Amino acid sequence: MLICRDIWKIFGRAPTEAYAALHAGAADAGRYADHVVAVRGVSFRVQRGETFVVMGLSGSGKSTLVRCLSRLAEPTHGEVQIDGRDILAMGAAELRELRRHTVSMVFQHFGLFPHRRVIDNVAYGLEVRGVARRERHAQAERMIDLVGLTGWGNHLPRQLSGGMQQRVGLARALAVNPAILLFDEPFSALDPLIRREMQDELLRLQSSLRKTSVFITHDFAEALRLGDRIAIMRQGQLVQVGTPEELVLRPYNDYVRAFVKDAPRARVLTAGAIMAPCAPSPAGPDGPAVALATKLEQALPVVAAHDGPVAVVDEAHITRGHLDRALVLRALCN
Amino acid sequence: MASQTPAIAAAAQIGPRARLRLLVGATLLIVLTLSALAWPAEARRFPEGWNLGLREPVDAFQSWVITSRASNPIFTLGFDPLRGAIDGSLRIVEGGLLGLSWLSVLAIIGLLGYLGAGLRLALLCVGGLLLAGMFGLWEPSMQTLALMGCAVSLSLLIGIPLGVAAGLSSPFEHRLRPLLDAMQTMPAFVYLSPVLLFFGIARAPAVVATLIYALPPIIRLTSMGIRHADPAAVEAARAFGATPRQLLLRVQMPLALPEIMAGVNQTIMMALSMVVIAAMIGAGGLGREVLVALQRLNVGQALEAGLVIVTLAIILDRLSAALGRIDLAAPPEAGRRDLLANWPTSAFATRQTNPAYAQDLRRFARPINAALLLLLILLADVALLHLGGFPAGWRISLRGPANAAVAWARDNLYQIGGLPIGTGPLSDTLTIYLLNPMRNLLLDWLPWPAVILAVAGAGYAAGSWRLAAMCAGGMLLIGMLGMWVPSMDTLSQVVITVLVSVAIAVPLGVLSAQSPAARAALRPILAFFQTVPAFVYLVPVIMLVNIGRVPGLIAAVLYAVPPGIKLTELGLSQVPTETVEAARSFGATRAQLLLRVQLPLATPAIMLAVNQMIMMVLAMVIIAGLVGGAGLGLEAVIGLGKNQTGRGIESGLAILIIATILDRITQAWAAQE
Repeated sequence: MLICRDIWKIFGRAPTEAYAALHAGAADAGRYADHVVAVRGVSFRVQRGETFVVMGLSGSGKSTLVRCLSRLAEPTHGEVQIDGRDILAMGAAELRELRRHTVSMVFQHFGLFPHRRVIDNVAYGLEVRGVARRERHAQAERMIDLVGLTGWGNHLPRQLSGGMQQRVGLARALAVNPAILLFDEPFSALDPLIRREMQDELLRLQSSLRKTSVFITHDFAEALRLGDRIAIMRQGQLVQVGTPEELVLRPYNDYVRAFVKDAPRARVLTAGAIMAPCAPSPAGPDGPAVALATKLEQALPVVAAHDGPVAVVDEAHITRGHLDRALVLRALCN
Repeated sequence: MASQTPAIAAAAQIGPRARLRLLVGATLLIVLTLSALAWPAEARRFPEGWNLGLREPVDAFQSWVITSRASNPIFTLGFDPLRGAIDGSLRIVEGGLLGLSWLSVLAIIGLLGYLGAGLRLALLCVGGLLLAGMFGLWEPSMQTLALMGCAVSLSLLIGIPLGVAAGLSSPFEHRLRPLLDAMQTMPAFVYLSPVLLFFGIARAPAVVATLIYALPPIIRLTSMGIRHADPAAVEAARAFGATPRQLLLRVQMPLALPEIMAGVNQTIMMALSMVVIAAMIGAGGLGREVLVALQRLNVGQALEAGLVIVTLAIILDRLSAALGRIDLAAPPEAGRRDLLANWPTSAFATRQTNPAYAQDLRRFARPINAALLLLLILLADVALLHLGGFPAGWRISLRGPANAAVAWARDNLYQIGGLPIGTGPLSDTLTIYLLNPMRNLLLDWLPWPAVILAVAGAGYAAGSWRLAAMCAGGMLLIGMLGMWVPSMDTLSQVVITVLVSVAIAVPLGVLSAQSPAARAALRPILAFFQTVPAFVYLVPVIMLVNIGRVPGLIAAVLYAVPPGIKLTELGLSQVPTETVEAARSFGATRAQLLLRVQLPLATPAIMLAVNQMIMMVLAMVIIAGLVGGAGLGLEAVIGLGKNQTGRGIESGLAILIIATILDRITQAWAAQE
């Protein structure tokens, strides 16, 4: 489990003093006007196996935030806990061990080593750990197969397309079998079609691996597709944190609403969220029924085909509410 | 209305600072004129009583060095072992090159060429060395190669770690930078005297002087390579828990390899350009051949040695560039016939049972095979071949034809018919109408404070009060070193030479940027004058014009014009295409395009070209001191030749001051835009 409490990151000549002044609301905070507050008191927690997406426009501080989690950027203030261990209290050696075993990262511009073959790129994390060559190559081969690059191990990164290069980046991150994966806009340098393909690939991997992940993106559609929960970030602060559905149904302010406006509501909203609830009736429905978690997309044909209300049932097949065409249409056009 | 717009714009552009500058300039001009008229004629040169008297303590120090060389620990424990180490390693390399039979040397360099870039480069390498042998210059060539090898290896040994340190630490780089700037802008003559003093005779001082000159590029480029290593890859390595050492050795250094190899190439080229100067302090080899030819005014001999130097430069340039480019980690390309790719390593690889090991063998088959072959050649050389020196019978000579051509030119071009045209009258004209008036202006007509004021004024106009103060201080120091008269002599030559060079280079650069045909025609000429050591064409120039300041001037112009043309052309070609297209789309004529768009935008680049030309002219004018150019060059040569270190150092400092002043003024000027 990953916990962040009140993280600040300030760039400038005297960040600690600037933090103290800003935090205390001191009158002389203006003295630090030339400092950049990239991350401003961010707190969140990520559950085991959860994909937590941080969405923000460029300059919102999201890339800095993800770097604070493994101290590639040193937080000015705050607390980062991974499985109960305080990251910020770690010494250099301890931090290296953490990076070698627990946290690994996929980068926006891939960050591959151009002078090493694919297999040596994938094996890099194991190599710095000191794993013997034969063993690390065997593990790297497995990862290469896992991301669908079988047979490309002996090529150099520059011989691969952008999408394939990021598959190498993914395999490199997975090869150390980390507890936590950090993604810094991994797909934003790719063409839209390839990006889509890589998102599917990640979903496929996550459905079996279930790694605790923090995923940074500036693409709200991507956040909706990948995130179990999404945090909207603006000017260094989290504006709203919630499931895709919560964001779409209850945007906190106009800023969030602007993103949500074009969201594919049919794919985000569930039957349970928009139904007209009723008293739970243990008797099963007589007509057609959909589950609480059914996405509107799948519920639509059922509602369309049936003139009366459609029952919404929970796992125990108990009716919790109803959907009708008016409800569905209202939910879609809101 | 339309015609008024530029004028209004120009008026609007003159800010308070520019107006102040104009005012200061005008006042200065009036003061200078008045003072020149009013100043007593006998006191126009720098007062001799103000001499700092640097020469005496330096000479005393020299005597002390000579007497205490055998006893003082600074020498017995410091410089002497260093000198011994340099001398020893030089002797080993040279012994190796001359101990091997010529055929083995050819085979080895051919093999390196083949490894680097295939058959064509191999043939070029072998052919170049054959040429050296056929000119009868095998032994001096090997001596020069050995000296280059030593100086370059030492440069790399010192330079790469320093470059890495500079790349990793910005404060260190900031502290190192002025030192590197000084090493690169300082004419080599300046440090010949001190190097000679500390490292004594034999060839160690030649290696050290070459080292000083060749060191900066490898440091700069290594540092740049480390700094520019893909930040994403470096961050990724950190994110996976690499230690600083793992990061440096396995990520940053490999990523910086292209830049480091470019640095090696630059260092080799810089070292080669020192061949002749290093021969002045005992380097021997090809440089000595050139110097001897210069003394004898033997054009053919100078040409042969010069051509061999050029050939070595071309070979080493191509070879180091090619070896730097080969990608050891790249998978073998299929379909290309490559003698080094198969036998015997791949045969060995097929027998390997461990597939990973076999694959590695196949990946590195070329270098492994090359190393095996090299070993074989060496063994064969030691065991079987006893060919000795290059066969004396294989000779070609350029001496006869070259000397005849110059003799013909001297008879027929010196003065054409009875007319006042030809190289002789040209030389007289340059001397009487340009060089003499300029020297008279600086030495006899303007009183010394006026000269200082004028230089300071130029500094102010180009940059700031600080620069002006620096210029004035520098000029004053020159006077106090007792170098006023030779400095004014040199300065007058530099000014005239730079004016002539600019007048030739800028129009040719513009022409070359406008017309691909002109560019194609100029290219081989420029390449020739940039690679042939300037000493080589100094000889025919001396024969065609009289000994004196003019041969130095002409040689300096020939030396400085090629980079001037290239930089001007580069500046013009770097004007953004979109801007040019925009001007075109509004219907600008070619002349309008050039004058209103391209030249103004290329001004900073052209200023840098002028800066480069000044530095090259300065380097050359000093060399011209050897052939009657007098001035500071002559002082430096006398200092070196007669072992008067004090005089050598005084003139060296004066050269350094003039170089720094001219460099700063033109750089500030270029940065003004």
